[in-house]
Amino acid sequence: MFMLIWKNISRRRTQSVLTVAITLLTIFVFVMVMGIYQTMNTGLELSRQRLGADAVLLPKYSTADSGDLLFTALPENIYMPAETVEQAKSLEGVAALSPQFYAQTLSLSCCEPGEEARVIGFDPETDFILAPYLDGGISNIKENDMIMGGNFDDDFVGSNYLALGNKFYVPMKLQPTGTGMDSTLFMHIDTLRRLCRESEALNTEYLTNIDWREDDPFAYVSVIMIKLQEGVDPDDFAMQVEKSGMNVRCVLTGATISSLQGQLEVTMRVMLALWLASMIIAILSLTGRFSALAKERKKEIGLLRAIGARKQQIFGLIIGEACTMALIGGVIGSVLALLCMGPVIDMLKEAFKLSPSVWSTDLAVLCGTAGVVLAGILGFAAALLPASKSASLDPQTAITQGEVA
Amino acid sequence: MEICKLENIRKDYRMGELVTPLKDVSLTVNPGDFIAVEGPSGIGKSTLLYVMGLLLQSDNGTYTFDDKDVSLLSDGEKSDLRSKKIGFLFQDATLIQALTLRENLIFSYNLIKKSPDLKRVDELLYRFGLDDRANFLPHQLSGGQRRRLMAARCIIHEPSLILADEPTNDLDEHWSNEIIAMLQQEAQRGAGIVMVTHNSRWAQLAGSRYRLDDGVLTDITKEEI
Repeated sequence: MFMLIWKNISRRRTQSVLTVAITLLTIFVFVMVMGIYQTMNTGLELSRQRLGADAVLLPKYSTADSGDLLFTALPENIYMPAETVEQAKSLEGVAALSPQFYAQTLSLSCCEPGEEARVIGFDPETDFILAPYLDGGISNIKENDMIMGGNFDDDFVGSNYLALGNKFYVPMKLQPTGTGMDSTLFMHIDTLRRLCRESEALNTEYLTNIDWREDDPFAYVSVIMIKLQEGVDPDDFAMQVEKSGMNVRCVLTGATISSLQGQLEVTMRVMLALWLASMIIAILSLTGRFSALAKERKKEIGLLRAIGARKQQIFGLIIGEACTMALIGGVIGSVLALLCMGPVIDMLKEAFKLSPSVWSTDLAVLCGTAGVVLAGILGFAAALLPASKSASLDPQTAITQGEVA
Repeated sequence: MEICKLENIRKDYRMGELVTPLKDVSLTVNPGDFIAVEGPSGIGKSTLLYVMGLLLQSDNGTYTFDDKDVSLLSDGEKSDLRSKKIGFLFQDATLIQALTLRENLIFSYNLIKKSPDLKRVDELLYRFGLDDRANFLPHQLSGGQRRRLMAARCIIHEPSLILADEPTNDLDEHWSNEIIAMLQQEAQRGAGIVMVTHNSRWAQLAGSRYRLDDGVLTDITKEEI
């Protein structure tokens, strides 16, 4: 029967190609939707779990978008007086806080990434943001060390890296976080401040509205990451900051993530609805195709029964053909979808401000396998009725009334 | 021991009105018998073959095949008998469209779960003048060529009963003679042959002749003599 299944598929080429194409498109859409949803959702979940800070204090004048700040590696050169850190310590409900100082690399610098990258100076003594992603801990970071985000090549670890006109040793890189941290360079806050003071390039006007030749970088911070005490309502904390008269803006990370998750869920619901519609269309059209196929071959099925094929063999023949074609479509559709996933996620990353780092081989295998399994189910479901009808066909009726294919 | 035996077989069709092509049919087929059943078109000759070929269940009477009452056999057991012991030569040239001529013959072995005897396949293709068309698909053949392949498929597994429905349809004089000769040879081998035909010229070549009329089978062998 396997021979007959294969010959029926390979020698009725036009019909087979059409059936494979219907499955291919359905599975392509399914794998894309599943892959994108998993990636985005996992990215958000990782961000929620790993962001560390419950709130971020930014300079009040800053127009930086909180989503950009948290989820992308877009350089944001914003600064506020360092005394703000002391003021923030006096706020109620603060469990820990850590200042950060921002700068950026220049695209034309030698041996640096092709585009501007955010450089963050962190304070190893108070930091609670980076420490969870570093296998070796953060206490041993030296002044001339640079930590790279999870997206940078592993080859950089253990070697020297030239950035902002200085040579840095890269002792380690962060584990992937699913956020803009993955594309960011990190160094000691004082080192970055010193570089700002010394680097002509970082004094270029378009980079910052502060001239580091006149102002002391050591008197500034960019943002203050805040971890709240257990039980403190983030909204109440934001209200407290507002009322404190501090010259800062409070961004709640949870709210930002929830807002992104809301956007994602709406988009995914639309995509899911479209996919369901395409699935229903596929089932209907495949059922129609297999029914037509069975009807067209009624006489041949009668012949098979007459020369000794059992009902189960006829059932297996129709189901076998349907599942084989569906699986071929499923495999091709899954592979094509997986090949397209990278560029599509890159595109969506821009729209949703998420890092693509969570698109992993494991997820690709999961989505691809799910696509192939679904294709098999699709083929089986669509062929079930025609196969049952064909198997229970009275052989004599089939022979005398069937049309010659 | 007889191959099969029909006793008082009745078959009704309800197609708006009741039609009874077989009212009271009795027939015994022994090894080596070559039986011709004659009668005008639409009288029920094909119905008789379908009943004998276990493709149609009679409404009354007893049909025994290989000493077994077929009404007591399961669908699977009937399928086994059809694949191993019965050879069909249908009125229409029915073949498996996706298989080449050679593959159509090989497929018969698959159904009886035997490894194909490729030598016999080639011999039959040669015998029926199809050796140069072995890798053609059925739709690439003429009606006569398809019928010749059906004849080859009908005997490839050396069945004990061959049911031939108008076996010379679509065939020229030469191949009609060949097919009848093939049926005679199969009878000599020990198979029982039941051939339905409306052409008395071919019926005369059978060992015994019956006429189906008004649902009853009458032995006319002696009448014709």
